[in-house]
Amino acid sequence: MRRGFRRNFEPIKVLSDSQIEAIHTATLDVLEKTGVKFESEKALKLLEKNGCVVDYDERVARIPGFLVEECIRKTPSSFTVRARNPKNDLRIGGNTLYFMSSAGARYTDVETGEVRQATQEENDHGVLISDALETVDLFPSYTPYFEIEGVPPVMLCPMSLASRIRFTSKASRGAQATDTFIFETQLAQAVGQGLLGNCEAAAPLSYPEDAINAAFEYTKAGFPIYIAAGSVMGGTAPVTVAGATISNNAELLAVVVLIQLMRPGTGICGNDFVTPMDMESGSFLFGSLGVNLHQMAFNQLWTQVYKIPTVNTGSAFSNSKLIDYQSGYEKTHTAMASALSGANVIVLHGGVTAELAYNPILSIINDDVANIIGRTVEGFEVNDETMAIELIEAVGPVPGTFLNKTHTRVNWKKEYFVPKVADRLSYPEWLQQGKKSTIDRAKERMEEIIATHRPDPVTAQQDRDIEKILEDARNHYRKRGLL
Amino acid sequence: MAENLLDALKRIVVEFDIDNAEATARRAIEQGVNPLKAAQSLTEGIRLVGDRFGTGELFLPDLVCASEVVKNALPVITSEIEKQGKTLKSLGKVVIGTVFGDIHSIGKSMVATLLFASGFEIVDLGINVKGEEFLKAVKEYNPDIVAMSALLTTTIMEQKNVIDGLEKENLRSKVKVIVGGSPINQEFAESIGADGYGSTAPEGVRVVKSLLGIK
Repeated sequence: MRRGFRRNFEPIKVLSDSQIEAIHTATLDVLEKTGVKFESEKALKLLEKNGCVVDYDERVARIPGFLVEECIRKTPSSFTVRARNPKNDLRIGGNTLYFMSSAGARYTDVETGEVRQATQEENDHGVLISDALETVDLFPSYTPYFEIEGVPPVMLCPMSLASRIRFTSKASRGAQATDTFIFETQLAQAVGQGLLGNCEAAAPLSYPEDAINAAFEYTKAGFPIYIAAGSVMGGTAPVTVAGATISNNAELLAVVVLIQLMRPGTGICGNDFVTPMDMESGSFLFGSLGVNLHQMAFNQLWTQVYKIPTVNTGSAFSNSKLIDYQSGYEKTHTAMASALSGANVIVLHGGVTAELAYNPILSIINDDVANIIGRTVEGFEVNDETMAIELIEAVGPVPGTFLNKTHTRVNWKKEYFVPKVADRLSYPEWLQQGKKSTIDRAKERMEEIIATHRPDPVTAQQDRDIEKILEDARNHYRKRGLL
Repeated sequence: MAENLLDALKRIVVEFDIDNAEATARRAIEQGVNPLKAAQSLTEGIRLVGDRFGTGELFLPDLVCASEVVKNALPVITSEIEKQGKTLKSLGKVVIGTVFGDIHSIGKSMVATLLFASGFEIVDLGINVKGEEFLKAVKEYNPDIVAMSALLTTTIMEQKNVIDGLEKENLRSKVKVIVGGSPINQEFAESIGADGYGSTAPEGVRVVKSLLGIK
């Protein structure tokens, strides 16, 4: 089991009790009156059988409040995701904070910011590097690149999971693209691991067929499910934080109901991926004020009121095209707001250029950021040893010093986090060592990881099984005319 | 038995055992250990710590705590050396201090500790040391090296004042002068007439050795 970080103080609350009540009852109202569209006859029948009012022409289910609240209660407050190596299993929920790697469509050049398709080798290296990073606990679907040179789009998700199985023994999330969940479930089972399943809405208030099929497949396998409703405030959700909180809540609670009806007791984590729209270009504003406030409200509502674990994706990307000040501050303030308000999983490492690009060098820098944020929520110990009262008395005023005391020598390592790539040299040392930037230092760490790090190997039999399942997937997609 | 106590003296340094420093030294002397060998054990211990500090394996508190062990253990041993009419050999004598107006002690203390670890005799004048105190110490201790630290751009010229003072009193040719501190560089060191400059504490030791022709 990976330890992650343990939050040792109460999360920040941005909503008062009466604001929570107002948002919750408004959500129940939306679910009962407006309802949610499910592009699946099977799902609609299941919902109808359990008390929902279904309009089959519109494919809309109106869900009564009692059923919503019953299904919230049935959802466990924490659950396990099994990894290929049990030492990497996760227990998501409670006061634990994990970090999930981010991703991007393409590889970005660190110097120029120009993006291009990643090769299979670059994809494998990306996974290998994150396998070596202490703070990457979990991999999302199609990571780190959404596109791999020479891989047909329909085969991307299964091929991507195969790469993650071979180059890391950490836990992974499955995908929901057409039928990929069938093969991803088989791939996971072939190497004895689980998956965090996947079911993502199409805002506003709709679930496409693939998402629902994925939820059926993953719950059948006994996997927990990651639910998400990526909406854009002012586009697919109200522009206000409160309004977007209600619509996002309705989307996610609707599928909590569906999943608990599929298989009661299934572990669920609710992902918040709601971003304001850029009113000049229409694009997503990652790392913006609205993201922080929305995620903080979401964490309070879900982890403290519904007792359902949360994932926050707001820090996964930056609109900056470069690994620079903007990508640094946008990711950090967003991730910190998530951590302080009680998120259980924060998506952070490596994504830039909106969702367009990824670079492992940024993941390596973000590894330091994640450590600092994680250590912040762990707080500090207050006891006789740490308060050092006798020592303060013994040292006294100037010329007293704490530097030559055993207390300092023994405790600084427990209290400090020493970042791996931050430049902390003195100015003359920095000059002497070639004026290296943080990016240069991260690049050196990357080269060292690629040269020396080896993931837990898969067996030869498992490797053959993976190839066979991928071949089955190709045949399946050929038959469906998709390949 | 005697061999074990020599090992113990080295061990208390590399294990930073401040609490047992003086008692271990006293036990060694009481049991008749050669005090010169006892001093050598402490020096070997701190040299190991200094080397591991230089490679980044150990940190500043380790270095300072190890030197604290030596500071606590050494007086018992040196008084025995004197009692036996022997003398402790050193590589040379260094008068060191942070210049007047400047109260930053850490860089200066690191250099002093590493020089001590390398086998030099150290006269540490402390912080906020006036020019005349440096001159007085040079007359009194007759050192091979005068080492001055300054962290503030407003106090670095004080290093020049001391060098000018040494000239005026005809002491300049008797000592080598090294300077250090965050705002100092080689160019500045040369401009004020210093003999050497080190950007880090380990480099300071190398500069001192090279000025004195020690390999």
